[in-house]
Parts: sequence; C-alpha cells; structure tokens
Amino acid sequence: MRLSPAPASPVPPRAEDEDSSDGASPGGAARHGAPADDDIVVPDVEPRRRRRLTPARLGLRARITFAFAATAAILSTLMAGTTWGLTRENLINQREAAAIGQASRNSSIMALRIDATQDSGALREALASLEAPTSSRPSVELAGGSTASLQPTLGPAQVPASVKAAVEAGQPVRMRVTIGGEPQLVVGIPINDGAAAYYEFVSFVELQDTLESLAVSLFGASVVTTLVGGALGYWLSRRTLRPLANVGLAAEAIAGGRLDTRLEGTEDPDLNVLVSSFNHMAQALEERIDRDGRFASDVSHELRSPLMTLAASVSVLASRREEMPDEASRSALDLMDADVARFQQLVDDLLEISRFDAGVARLSLDEVILPELVRQAVAQRRDTRDDVVVDLGGELDDLVVRADKRRLVRMLDNMLGNAAAYGGGATRVAVEADGDVVRIAVEDDGPGVPVEDRTRIFERFSRGAGAGRRGTSGDGVGLGLSLVAEHARLHGGRAWVEDRPGGRPGARFVVQLPVARA
Amino acid sequence: MRHDAGVATRILTVEDDARIRTAVKLALEDEGWKVDEADTGEEALELFAQGPADVVLIDIMLPGVDGFEVCRSIRRMSDAPIIMVTARDDTHDIVAGLEAGADDYLTKPFAPKELSARIRAMLRRVRTADSGATHLRFDDLEIVPEEGVVRRADEEVHLTKTEFRLLLELANSPGRVLSREVLLERVWGHGYFADGRLVDVHVRRLRTKVEADPANPRHVVTVRGLGYKLQT
Repeated sequence: MRLSPAPASPVPPRAEDEDSSDGASPGGAARHGAPADDDIVVPDVEPRRRRRLTPARLGLRARITFAFAATAAILSTLMAGTTWGLTRENLINQREAAAIGQASRNSSIMALRIDATQDSGALREALASLEAPTSSRPSVELAGGSTASLQPTLGPAQVPASVKAAVEAGQPVRMRVTIGGEPQLVVGIPINDGAAAYYEFVSFVELQDTLESLAVSLFGASVVTTLVGGALGYWLSRRTLRPLANVGLAAEAIAGGRLDTRLEGTEDPDLNVLVSSFNHMAQALEERIDRDGRFASDVSHELRSPLMTLAASVSVLASRREEMPDEASRSALDLMDADVARFQQLVDDLLEISRFDAGVARLSLDEVILPELVRQAVAQRRDTRDDVVVDLGGELDDLVVRADKRRLVRMLDNMLGNAAAYGGGATRVAVEADGDVVRIAVEDDGPGVPVEDRTRIFERFSRGAGAGRRGTSGDGVGLGLSLVAEHARLHGGRAWVEDRPGGRPGARFVVQLPVARA
Repeated sequence: MRHDAGVATRILTVEDDARIRTAVKLALEDEGWKVDEADTGEEALELFAQGPADVVLIDIMLPGVDGFEVCRSIRRMSDAPIIMVTARDDTHDIVAGLEAGADDYLTKPFAPKELSARIRAMLRRVRTADSGATHLRFDDLEIVPEEGVVRRADEEVHLTKTEFRLLLELANSPGRVLSREVLLERVWGHGYFADGRLVDVHVRRLRTKVEADPANPRHVVTVRGLGYKLQT
C-alpha cells in the first residue's frame, strides 16, 4: 500500500480492513463509540506500520540460530560449572589430605624433638630437617609461649586465634586462611598433651593457579561450544528453511503466470505435507484459471454466433438499402449496421480483457518493421485527418523490433481511435527509439487530459464524464485505452498520457516498449 | 466475381448453427454464388464427393467429425481452396487448421464483406509470370505457370492452388526477398495486418513438396526478420 504522508480526512472504515477494527484509526474509534478528536487526524497507516513490525522482530532463521546458540551456551556453562566444581572439590580434598597426613607425621617427629630440647635454635633446625615440600611452612609454639618457625611471616603469630584455641584444647584442626593475599591451609596439631603446638602453613597458590587456568579453559570451551551451537543452528535453519524458500520461489513463479510450477517431492514426510498441499493448491489454481479461460472461450462462442448471424443479416439488408422505400427504414438499418460493428468490437475487447484476467494472454512474438506498421495503421483508418504528420524518426525507417504484431496494431488503432473520438483526430504520430526502448506517440490538438484523470482514463470503462473532458462524444466503449495499457504491460512496457509538447493544447498518448532489437 | 457462361461458382459451407448458415448463405448468394449447406462434417464430405465445390467454408467447431478432419478429408480429394472459420482466435487452433490443409481462416464473428473478399481472392486466376516466361527453372525445380505444373527432379509434384500461387510469386522475383506482408497481399489478397502465420505454415507445407530435404531448404529459404525468397 502506498501511503500518502498526511491524509486530509480520516479514512472511512471498511469492513474488510482489519486495521480499522483495532480502534487506532479514527474511523474505527468512531464506530466503537469512542470520542473522536476532530483536531487530531491519525492516519490509518500507523497501526498498520506497528502491526507489521511486531511479528517481524526476528526471523525464523534468526530465532532458530539464537535458540541453538542459547541451548549450547546453557549446556556448556552447566557442564563447565559442574566440571570446575567437582575438580576443585577433588583437588582441594586431595591437597588437604596430603597436607594433614604430612603435618601429622611432622608433628610426631617434632614431639620427639621437643622432648629432647626446648631451645628455639635447635627446634628451628629440627623444623628445617623435616621432610616437607617447599610449599609448606612448619612451626611450633611451646606452652611457654616461645616459638620457632622456618619463616617468621608464616609462624604461630599468624595462626588464627580459633585454631590456636582448638589446638590448646587438645584438638587437631585445619583451616583455610588467606595471608598476604595468598591462600593457605593451616594445620594445627597439639604435641605431648598440650606441651606444645605444631602448626604448618601449606600454600594453595599452585592449586589456585591450576584451578584458574582450568576455569579459563572451561570458559573458552563454553564460548566455542556456544558459537558452534549458533553456527549449527544457522546451518540447520537454512537447511530446514530451504524448502520454504522453494515454496516462496514457486509461489512467485505462479504469481508471475507460470501456472504449471510445482514443488518437487522430498523424502521428508513432514515436508511432503507442505509440498503436497502446495501442489494441490497450485493444481486447483491452474484448473480454475483454465476453467476461466475455457469460460472465456465458451462465452466467445455463445456471443459470437448470434453476432455472426446479425452481421450477415444486416449486410444482406445493407446491400438492399437503396431498394428500401422510406427514410425511416434506411436510418434504422444504418443504426443497426453501425451498432452491430460496435457490438462486435465490444465483444472482441471483452474477450481480450478476459484473457488478460485469466492470465492466458500470451505474446506471439514476431519481427516487425515498426515504422512500416505505424504507417499502415495510420493509413487504414478512415477517420484520420488529412494533415496528420507521421514522424518515423528518419533513420529509423528500417527499425525492426520483436513484438506481437497484432497487439501492436491494436494499441495503435485504439490510440488513433481515441484521438479521433476525443481529440479531434491525431495530428502527429511518432516513432522514437531511445536506447533499449521504443516509443509510439499519438498526439492530438483536442482539449487534453487533466492531470487528475491521467491514470483513471487507462482503467476499464472510464470514459471521462462532464463537459470538456474526453468521452463527451459517446463513441467507443471505454475499453480501448485499458487494452492499450494491458498490451503494453504484456510486452513489459507501459502506456501513459502527457501534455502535448511545446505548450500547445492537446494530449500525447505514449506507448513505451522495451526492445530486444532484432 | 460474377460467374461466366452460366456456370455458377459453388461454395460449400459447413456450419452446425442453422442461423449462421442461413445468414451466411444469404450474404454469399447476394454475391451471385451458389451455396451448398452442410450441418455436419459427414454431410459435407458426402456433398463434396457428389460434386466438388470451388471454395469450402468450414467451421472448426463441429459436432461429430470435426473441422480439422473435414479439412484433411477434402484435401485428400481435391485442391479446392478451404477457408476455415474459428470462433476462437486461439493460436493453436489456427495453426492446427492451416496444417490440416486450410488455405485461409476467419474468426467469428466476421463481416460478410470480409468473407466475400477472401473467397474472391481464392477464386482469382493464377497470376502469370511478369516475364511471360512459359518455363521457370531453378536447379532441379521446374515451374510451368500456364499449365499449373511443378516438377522436382523431372517428377510432377502436386501443389494446392494457394501453394502454387505462393511458389509462383516467389519465382516471379527470384533471389528477391518478399516480406510476409507482400506475400499475404499478393497470394491471399489480404491487407498489411493479416496473420503472418498463414505464410509460415504454407511455406512449411510447400517445402515438404518442393525440397529434397525440407529441414534444409535450398529453394524456398527464410531470410530472418525480412521474409522469404526463392534461391536462384
């Protein structure tokens, strides 16, 4: 729908127009009894715009891709989280068990030493001689308060009070603390029933590093999994939607007139439902259009036969015109003769139109010497003016185009007839070649066509009404120009009317056709 | 054409619609022709067998034996010009009718004047060569206009009147291209806007008779976009 920027008046509601029923358009609002504000005219285009936006937020393909990516992200995060948690638990437990075992062995050794000496220097040597990995820092605190440690910054002074209290109460204990920004496990073991306390700090820095790099790896894996999931989703959606794209192409082909277009069956039973219902629809459509086409043909037979009889009978009468006794009979005969011809033209035009409507109109392409055709078409009309100028563009004299000769002649004849009926006869007929198009123009010096009527006059039965407009002569049946437009369209061209060039009064009817020059 | 020496030109019309048949008969009799009527294909063939007509007018849409079949049957018996009448200006029907042997066609409803003009064109005497030559020879093709005889490789070939007239038109200006419009005018007596397929179908049929290999014609050749010529 082409939208004008600001309609001057509210668009009246139409029953078949969904938009008017949602209350947003003034017509709809008024119909539902809501007070309509006359000052604010809301064009009915607004709801339509919104409505179109809502379902089009995300395409099916995008949604499938997104769903795959999200699922992959959730699953991989869950897996990574579980892996990380379990691994961390395991590693810490192992590490703690090892530390506790070692501390308890070391405390037994230190218990013997403390029995032998209480000298802090000797105790430090004893501590140094303990079998311990570099990450552990043993220390002892005697009941008297004197301490000995391998590293002063990680000695009994740093042991948390709660640990000390438990150890003093004779309870071996462990606790994870952070000292100087480093995670440590402190193990406290009472020695010789409270005579001393053995403490050991075991650094968990390495473990933390290990866990961190594991986390980074797991995160990376999750990201990759998510991306792969998204890519898989994209690929799958394309694959899944390809049949839909084919349906779209087929539908377009059918709309374009290739009615025998069908979808190929697939091995997928789910898709086959769509394929078969689509093909069923296409078949029904084709049959219906065929039926319509046959109907046109049947109508043709039905209408043409009586017309045939009429025409032949009238011609027999016409050949005896001079023998008729009175003027009234002769006038009646003349009227009948003229209107039988008009009737024939009308039936021909209607059948032509019905073929366009049924989509059965086909071009019968031929090589046509265009200037010659135009010359002949002008010459064969009896109502052309004596002073008509036929401008074939000089060097174009042998311009050969591929076109449907019969339709070309009909177009020209209808334009000439239109000029004769409404414009006082054609003053100039021109053929113009312009790149890959040719134009056939018919000009007259009649009243011209007002700008507002220039589209309408190409519609069916749209003879202009009112004085000064085309159609006042009452001749013709109003199908001529619409057929000109249809024939031009079938050729891939178009027809229009414009002002006569040079500011002179009159109209210029133009048919423009694309030309594959022969 | 007013008939000579009391021998009326006979026209056979085959049409199932009695009203049309009567009206057409009245119009043709107005021209001074004798008209025989048939309302079925069978009757038409019977009538034709009893006494050949000068021109046959056949409605394609007939009950029983259809117009195409009547065309073919008459063609087997005679060269008489056949004008077919079709209610449909359906490309397929028209080409099929021409291929069944029709010389010309009209679509319903046609003006009786148009029909008389076509019939007159069909009855016209064959135009003799401008040169007045009694023998025209093109390689293995020999035309004797006066006798209406054509021989290929010394063997007489049988042409219908229209085919003969078409060949003679081409032979009268050997080597020159004649557009379909010109041929339509000279052979069929049609105006510029007639159907070029008349020429195409007749040329095709002519080739099957005068060419050794109709698919690769040596005599009647097509000049794309322009028309046909007789190769010298």
